[in-house]
Amino acid sequence: MNRRYSAQIGRYLLVFALVVVAVAALYPLLFTVVSSLKTQTGFARDPLGLPSGITFDNYVEAFKRMNMPRLLLNSIITTVGGLVLSVLAAMLVAYTVTKLRFRGGKLVFLFIIVTLTIPSQAIIYPLYQTVLDLGMSGEYQGLILAYAAFGLPLGTYQLAGYFQQVPDELIEAARVDGAGHFTILFRLLAPIATPALAALAIFNFVWMWNDLLLPLVIMGGSDSKTLMVGVSLLSGQYDVSVPLVSAGLIVALLPVLIIYLVFQRQLISGALAGSGK
Amino acid sequence: MSISTAPAAEPAAATTPPAPVRRTRRFRHAREWWFGALLVLPALALAFTFKLVPLVRGVTTSFESSSGFGDSSFAGFDNYTRMFDDPMVLASFRNALLVVATLPVWIVVPLVLAVLIHQRAPGWKFFRAVYFIPYTIAPIVVGIMFRQILAPDGPINALLRTVGLEPLALEWLNGRNSALFSLVAVALWSFFGLGVMTYLAGLATIPDEVLEAAYLDGAGFWRRLFSVVVPMLRPTVAYWSVLCASGVLIWLFPLIYALTQGGPGDATMLPEYLVFLTTFQFLDRGYGSAIGIALFVFVALISVFSVRHMFKEGTRKPR
Repeated sequence: MNRRYSAQIGRYLLVFALVVVAVAALYPLLFTVVSSLKTQTGFARDPLGLPSGITFDNYVEAFKRMNMPRLLLNSIITTVGGLVLSVLAAMLVAYTVTKLRFRGGKLVFLFIIVTLTIPSQAIIYPLYQTVLDLGMSGEYQGLILAYAAFGLPLGTYQLAGYFQQVPDELIEAARVDGAGHFTILFRLLAPIATPALAALAIFNFVWMWNDLLLPLVIMGGSDSKTLMVGVSLLSGQYDVSVPLVSAGLIVALLPVLIIYLVFQRQLISGALAGSGK
Repeated sequence: MSISTAPAAEPAAATTPPAPVRRTRRFRHAREWWFGALLVLPALALAFTFKLVPLVRGVTTSFESSSGFGDSSFAGFDNYTRMFDDPMVLASFRNALLVVATLPVWIVVPLVLAVLIHQRAPGWKFFRAVYFIPYTIAPIVVGIMFRQILAPDGPINALLRTVGLEPLALEWLNGRNSALFSLVAVALWSFFGLGVMTYLAGLATIPDEVLEAAYLDGAGFWRRLFSVVVPMLRPTVAYWSVLCASGVLIWLFPLIYALTQGGPGDATMLPEYLVFLTTFQFLDRGYGSAIGIALFVFVALISVFSVRHMFKEGTRKPR
């Protein structure tokens, strides 16, 4: 009886702890949403409370100042390009290393994952120089290729781990049936690895969309700069009010938030599958 | 790479003498090798062009003295010796060590939350979904957001004042110690969801009965956590530790950019921000590259274990 009672209390404490963390996780977002709906004077009068009246002027103004449609387009092109290229290249390496008789495969795999230890911050100037020498500074392909290269190590690692669990006999059977390498890779392995691929794609989408340093340096002040660069510039302008910045922030974070909420189930099952070791 | 894993020999091969068989097989192996080489080429080209080449160029630039827009000249180890006398550089690496010292918090907090969610508390699906939301928000956006939250008269301090903790209502981003603390706390806010998700994935691979026995057993929560759950979760804990160890410094860049710009003084100056500042603000490329190489070595030393672990995992044959 006593034990059951304490278990009950434990349960309440547990839920209480979870609620506290959930509030901490959500409050900054709510604060920003609420701020973005206030007028400038409304925010000055009462920065913390709920707005007396709701205004969407800040969103209109943010769209105008930041040339939002163009920034959104730039972010979509570079993120999707980098994501597709990175996952494809990682898939090919993972297949070669785990499923082909390929001498030196281990060395290739090691080389790719070792590049994980080269952070973009450490090599940012020579990286910028290299992109400049390739004539890709301020161009979509420059950022796309850089994204692909930086997404490669983790992608290769995850997919190799996943492909490895597919029994070799399955591959051999398909090969005996006359299936070529690409058929095996895209018709047999890819469907099996869908959860891992989905999780990887979402992971890449999130960091590429959200990255600041690479687009800041590669795209700089060009018209091809991404949304995050635009947001960082907006917050640096001295005549910008908190409600206006907040509106810009909400627009910047909304696409990823939507993608996450839509693909939440795939992400979770992919994450579950990815660690199935 | 033994013979037995070779594809089934074609029927024709069975009737021909051994020597040609070996030749066709060798020919097939050679063809498969070239095909494999072709497949890994794009990845190698990417890693080579955007990682290795810049790294090598960074090393060469670090031996040059090149300021402003003028020509550069060979400077030997000058840039490196200069670092040891530069209080800003020393402070940045000291701060980096302080940040790395918080790693246990990064590893334990998501673990505890994941275990709590995993106990299927009412609304656990909601919590699981909500905890991941901060991670989806761009760090630069998080930084600008928290500039307002942590402002001297922002909501955090308002809360502290209403609950009677007036002395704790600091100028969070303006104190020597509180600035670095705030920076790491914001970073943790931004990344803990990824950890929770990773741990939940790991927990899902452990049979429910095993965990249930551990959860319901009389032993206290913390004891159960460290004596039952952690040993079973070893691979996941290792993976997440690896990710944090190699990532924690890198994740901070956009937050520093938005929140403190390295200040006050050098309180939140970290190597990655200093590289950026030296190179693009002070236009001292040689020196910036040298600091960058030092950062690379620092990160590489921390993540040697991660790479070894990943290599073993990735090349291990399934049992």
